[in-house]
Amino acid sequence: MKEEKKDVGGDMAEKELQTPYGFWIWATASAILRLFFIFFPEYFKLSSRPEVSTPLTSLRRLAEAYWLKQSSMSPYAGSMYHGSPLLLSILGPLTSQRIKGHSSHQLCSLVFVIADILSAVLLRAIGQKLLKTYIMNLKQLGVLRSSQDRGILPCGDIAALVYLWNPFTILSCVGLSTSPIENFAVIVSLYGAVTRKIPLAAFGFIMATHLSLYPASLVVPLIFLLGSGLDAPPIKNFLQTRDRGVENGSTSDVSKQDKLTRTTQLPFLWRTVLHFVFWVLVWSIYVLVLCSLSLKQYGGLEEMFKRTYRFILSIEDLSPTIGVFWYLFAEVFDFARSYVLIVFNLYILLTSLPPLAFRLKHRPCFLAFVYLAISSILKSYPSVGDAALYLSLWALFVNELSDIDHLFFILCGSIGFSLLSPVMHNIWIWRGTGNANFYYANAMGYACFQFMFVGESVNAMLDHDQALNKATAKMTKN
Amino acid sequence: MAGEKRNREEEEVKTDDGSPKIKPRPIVRLGIFLIAHSPVFSVVFSAAGILALLLLPLLAKNTYISENALMPGSARSMLSNRDVSAGSKLVKDIKNFRLSHEGQGVEVQKLIGEYMSEMGAEVYYQKFHPEGNQFHPLHFFSGPDSYTLLDNVSCASYGVNVAGIIRAPRGDGKESIVLASDLLKCGELNTADNFRRAGTVAAALVLKVDGRSERFEDTLSIYAEASNGQMPNLDLINVVNYLAVHRQGFYVRVEKVVSLLSSSWLKIIGEIFEAVGKLAHTLNPDWNFGIPAADYLEGSATLASSLYSQALGIPTGPHGAFRDYQVDAITLKVSPRFPPDSKTRQHDFFLRGARLLEGTIRSVNNLLEKFHQSFFLYLLTSPSKFISVGVYMIAFALLVAPLPMVAASLYIDGCKALTNSTLNPAGNFKSWKWLDAAKQVFALHLLGFIVTLLPYFICQIPGQHSPRNRSIMWGTTSSSLLFITFATIPGCSPFSSRLHGTNWAVVKSVTISAAFIGLCLMSIINFATAEIGALLLVPTCLMAQPIKPALRSRKIKSLLGAFCSMVLLTIGFPVMFFAISKELLGEGLVGLSLGGEFWTWLESLWAWKSATYLYIGMVHLPCWLLCLCILFHPS
Repeated sequence: MKEEKKDVGGDMAEKELQTPYGFWIWATASAILRLFFIFFPEYFKLSSRPEVSTPLTSLRRLAEAYWLKQSSMSPYAGSMYHGSPLLLSILGPLTSQRIKGHSSHQLCSLVFVIADILSAVLLRAIGQKLLKTYIMNLKQLGVLRSSQDRGILPCGDIAALVYLWNPFTILSCVGLSTSPIENFAVIVSLYGAVTRKIPLAAFGFIMATHLSLYPASLVVPLIFLLGSGLDAPPIKNFLQTRDRGVENGSTSDVSKQDKLTRTTQLPFLWRTVLHFVFWVLVWSIYVLVLCSLSLKQYGGLEEMFKRTYRFILSIEDLSPTIGVFWYLFAEVFDFARSYVLIVFNLYILLTSLPPLAFRLKHRPCFLAFVYLAISSILKSYPSVGDAALYLSLWALFVNELSDIDHLFFILCGSIGFSLLSPVMHNIWIWRGTGNANFYYANAMGYACFQFMFVGESVNAMLDHDQALNKATAKMTKN
Repeated sequence: MAGEKRNREEEEVKTDDGSPKIKPRPIVRLGIFLIAHSPVFSVVFSAAGILALLLLPLLAKNTYISENALMPGSARSMLSNRDVSAGSKLVKDIKNFRLSHEGQGVEVQKLIGEYMSEMGAEVYYQKFHPEGNQFHPLHFFSGPDSYTLLDNVSCASYGVNVAGIIRAPRGDGKESIVLASDLLKCGELNTADNFRRAGTVAAALVLKVDGRSERFEDTLSIYAEASNGQMPNLDLINVVNYLAVHRQGFYVRVEKVVSLLSSSWLKIIGEIFEAVGKLAHTLNPDWNFGIPAADYLEGSATLASSLYSQALGIPTGPHGAFRDYQVDAITLKVSPRFPPDSKTRQHDFFLRGARLLEGTIRSVNNLLEKFHQSFFLYLLTSPSKFISVGVYMIAFALLVAPLPMVAASLYIDGCKALTNSTLNPAGNFKSWKWLDAAKQVFALHLLGFIVTLLPYFICQIPGQHSPRNRSIMWGTTSSSLLFITFATIPGCSPFSSRLHGTNWAVVKSVTISAAFIGLCLMSIINFATAEIGALLLVPTCLMAQPIKPALRSRKIKSLLGAFCSMVLLTIGFPVMFFAISKELLGEGLVGLSLGGEFWTWLESLWAWKSATYLYIGMVHLPCWLLCLCILFHPS
């Protein structure tokens, strides 16, 4: 029931956005809803839900680490905290402050609300840019005559509102999890790449990788974005239209101009990419220096790598999450553990990343969505915050993905499994009538629907390209 | 345009299943077959579901003690007549004490405490405050509360529990028996809470002594249902039942719906089953599933009671407080057959009762861990017969199976209709056609959620209000909210013009999907609620269709369908269903007193955080409203 909100939000966006302030009204409403949840926390107790906060993102663990650091101990002592030392330095002092008469952590929650709003604003900007390119490309291909020809949705506003109104985002925002900050870093890097602000893109990328490691896979889409520009239909379509233009003579001056700009964009911009790599190096050195300064007395960088990245990759904490790994590694025999570990990490790295990079290289933003979705399904400690991020990125492509199959079925399944998760947890932990298998079965069902969602989206995108191809071919014939 | 053509092509591929080019997999073909013939299959499956429910008493298995370590009755009883005389003396003392200290009930605890300490037990007195009826329906998922006790309670009223702990003198100190006597009603929760802090409790037995048995034997009634349909491990009931029947000669009974025993239709069904069973036995002597009609009647009455108490989600006795802390607990009500003044009978009864308790405790003591071997999810048809989850789920699965099929078939039909209609502005967005319907369904579910939470705010209104007034407040606020929803969201309302209204088939499809998700979720939280809910909701959802075309067509079939759906909708309204079930139980209620009764009933659901309340408010009511919208759809 709850998850329907996101689509309804999107739909309402579609209607409301005809008025200029519609977006801001809905955004403010979502902020107010978050504040309401934050100031009445005792009714919800979300921070201890395994779906919301993982060992990596739990703010309660961060508060504990801050306390340890204040008492001159390593923040990583006792395997409590596994996050970034920089995040600890920023959020740590806020955890110990409290507003009068309220429980602690509320200042942090306010930071998360701000991060969410900023993410939404950046998503909106990304969407507007993508929409512009989308319309331009369609015009160039001659598929679209005027912008009113086919109901093109304002995908930026929809994506932003889907992000703000998605119950998953709201849960992770008010549930004392640091995923809003991680999501914000990812969105910053995408925004930087889309608007070609290379230092910003590199900064977002490095911060996202530093905070949760898995966004490292974004390096591929980011390079494509910077190298060959925004999402567009495959180049051969443009070549066809260009040929047609040559054969039939130009139809209009404007489209000719567009074609020229398009053909000049075709070569891969190695200079920009090198520029990006340079900034990545600068920012990573910067972050590493800051981290080593922050952890000088407590084992330095080596300790940090061991406690954060190794913790992520070797799946040390086997407490239940909505992911698929905790149960497997709890059950696996010790001698097989390292083998399984290598297999699973390589699985993400080898089977999903390179093939998709080849297939979707002309659509780097969509590729980023697919990478984030796959890593959020297969990562070692997933939470609903990751799902919130990729769902809103998905909404950037509502125009392209309008023909996606089985969406209603997938939506129903996801809602069912999301609601089933707390029930299974309850009958396992509190009632004792269920066991871990119940919760894990639910996690597998949830992962299955996520996979179906990603698969159908990729299919729909490829179909969309194919349809464009057919359309252009037909026009060339005529 | 090419895109549109592609759409059409795809739809064609979807509809014609026998396409020679792309032959779908068998399971897909089966799915398409089921969806294509969904009306037939939905009737077949629903009928099979109801039949399976009626068959359940036949399918009940005899209970068996699953955990071998329990070995009930193997220990030699250590209780002697002297112990029993001491017990009688205690009873006499308490009686005399009560007579001499009229109106000072609290002091009795002290007397019991003294007895306990004389026996060599550690004695503890625990003060507690009776807890008010707080409304926390959303705390269902979070487990027991730990912080509500410190809320502002007036210190004037408190109760005293007395607890004695007898530890094993030569054992390793882990085993102990905790005896507690609480003489105030509200003590149950606090006692359980206290026990939780004390350590792991293997099992809890709550004893009640009733006035006099109606039968010729001493009767032992077992009450097992705890909150939200949770049951204690079946082994606990087995042990008590085994010892009571085979060692101490009690007549053991569990609750049953008495009115069902005399119902003629159930008797006819029982006779039919008996005849079929006999016939099957003559065909093949190995087929022994037939049971006598009388047994069937008894079993059904017990099963109905078991389903009903589980579905309510309210414990049937004080043992309910323990189950929330994962302690297996039952309430035992013993009713002696002797007249109260017969000395020898009383002595004998004491001895047998005490031996039953001793045997149970010693049997449970054989366990090294908590109960885990036997069933937690079962329904009882007699003290020694049960239906396990694997069997009773079949009835539910058959009952809800039509929902996804009908939803899929309606979805396909509705989408096709939308594609053909020129009214739809976003014709190209093939996969988003359900969005308007989803918006309507979502809005009504949100409304249901708000209505569910409203009593919390109504309880906060200062001043004393009678339940009747509160229910009136609730009803008026809810209905005004409903009208506001209909007014603000044009697609939602059944009274909107035809242009705004969405295609009813798609609305019905989304409604059915929502009902299916809700019922499946509920079946895991509380099976019995889901079963009863499905019996109401599934036919209502399946039959719902616009009434206008039916009236216009004047065909008997469609008129009959419209009439059926109207009747089902009338019955399906929660208050109406409550009234009807009250009527069946023989308490006729009309008008405003019904509202008061309904409110009181809901309060009893809140007291135990019954998920049934959430189900009614967040699944049943919205789906019911949606069916109503479909019924009056302007098509």
